[in-house]
Amino acid sequence: MKQIILIAVIAGIAALLPLVIGDSPYFIGVLISVLMMAALSSAWNILGGYAGQYSFGHAAYFGSGAYTTMILISKFNFNPLVSMVAGIIVACIIALITGSIVFRLRGHYFGLASIAVAEIVRLSALNFDFTGGAQGILLTDVTLWGLDLNSKIPFYYGMLLVLVLTLGITLYLRTSKTGFYLQAIREDQDAAASLGINLSFYKNKALLISAALTSVLGSLYAVYIRFIDTSAVLDLRLSIEIILTAIIGGVGTLWGPVLGAVLLVPLAEILRSNVIGDALVKHGVVSETSGLGVFLKENLAHAHVLVYGIITVVCILYLPKGILGFFRRVK
Amino acid sequence: MIQHLLHINHVSKHFGGNVAVSDISFSVDEKQIFGLIGPNGAGKTTLFNCISGFYPVTSGDIIFDNKTINNLRPDEVCHLGMARTWQRVKPLGSLTVLENVMIGAFSITNTTREAEEIAMEQLQLVGLTDFSKKSAGSLSIGLKKKLELARVLATHPKMLLLDEICGGLNHTETDTILAIIRDVRNKGATIVFIEHDMKAVTAVCDWIVVLNSGEKLAEGTPEVITRNPDVIAAYLGGGHNA
Repeated sequence: MKQIILIAVIAGIAALLPLVIGDSPYFIGVLISVLMMAALSSAWNILGGYAGQYSFGHAAYFGSGAYTTMILISKFNFNPLVSMVAGIIVACIIALITGSIVFRLRGHYFGLASIAVAEIVRLSALNFDFTGGAQGILLTDVTLWGLDLNSKIPFYYGMLLVLVLTLGITLYLRTSKTGFYLQAIREDQDAAASLGINLSFYKNKALLISAALTSVLGSLYAVYIRFIDTSAVLDLRLSIEIILTAIIGGVGTLWGPVLGAVLLVPLAEILRSNVIGDALVKHGVVSETSGLGVFLKENLAHAHVLVYGIITVVCILYLPKGILGFFRRVK
Repeated sequence: MIQHLLHINHVSKHFGGNVAVSDISFSVDEKQIFGLIGPNGAGKTTLFNCISGFYPVTSGDIIFDNKTINNLRPDEVCHLGMARTWQRVKPLGSLTVLENVMIGAFSITNTTREAEEIAMEQLQLVGLTDFSKKSAGSLSIGLKKKLELARVLATHPKMLLLDEICGGLNHTETDTILAIIRDVRNKGATIVFIEHDMKAVTAVCDWIVVLNSGEKLAEGTPEVITRNPDVIAAYLGGGHNA
């Protein structure tokens, strides 16, 4: 009950945010990225955090949603919502094929297979004609219910809605039989099986829920950006970013992935736009032509992945349960 | 009329060329406390793993409650009413004691509220009520064994397979567990338990099967078994003159 109120309050604040900060497309854009990563990471967390099955290929489900939606809208002029549902179906089919084969095995096989499947999907999209190959797919015009889809605002609320939905599902699972079963599977598969838990059924169930939500986010993202190619929606980097966000925030907790996204996405944005470097140069701390100045300007901007890596190593060494897990322990 | 609840019919289990269990047959009656004993490596736990669905048998049949269960998965065996514990306890470490037992209870209910009620009953039965909110990983070994017992009892089994439930416990703890086992039997469950400690076995068992090197060495009542020279030789080494 406490958590439902917390979700409602935070969602309420997030809903009012665009009114407060005005319609600066840049800030709304960053906030959309935060919401999307929070939702992606929360969806991953259902499978990885609660059931303990680490998927390293969630980009496959994100990409399924994005590609299905884009193809159906651009080539067949489908309604965006119908295309989104089609994306869910495609993602679920890929998930079911992967899960029903790999979940019979224990250990790291699922992790390895998830990478393999994601790469198969990526390479297929890169080489087929109907997916636009290396050129990707561009969407020139899209309409839904007379909404102004040139504005970012509808997508902000769309992402927020999916995030709230994902958190709601996580919360429901946590207090229901399925959630208990997933956690039992994470803790000890033999014990779980001996207590009457059908391991592959429940692992597949978690995978399907997770894949479906991830696919919805992919559809939303595709229509928002209006251009997709394999490096944008099917890259291994995306899968890794989703996992790191969850790990740094706190795996297997309701708010961990959200916290991870709130911290990491703006951080990546700051590094990418080189806010720190520019400020140091502007205030005369570092000269623009000095070695350090050149490094800040030329290199640090590309270093957000490096910073992610360092933060992850520090987290694994000192905060193995993520930031949220750490604060729980202190309390 | 007494019914056979479990029937082991010429069961063998080979691992490659290794024969772990060889042509074992016995029957367990309803409401019996049935002891499965033998020295290390006798094949007791292997046999348990076959019965509970973790290992496929190489040959033979396992019949439980008039159904052949050889090819069932562990979760299916559990739903038929057979639950097991583990020699090396398997607490779900990051969950609380109550949640551990609730997971057992979810095999007979779908609602969280009912699962919690069933779990609390079982915790009371084994005396873990005060620890219900503690994390299962933090318990001592004695309490972990009690937790294992509460967790399988929460599945309301017809038959319990207990694998060295008294192993590593002191006398008081052993006595508590044995009292719980008797109590559970009196409520109608059948119990098969593997034990090392002859004292514990002879104290509660109605019938005992002795395994040695994968084969059945003897079977009978505790009085007969403790006087059987083959059994004494197997336990104390060959040539020992009882």
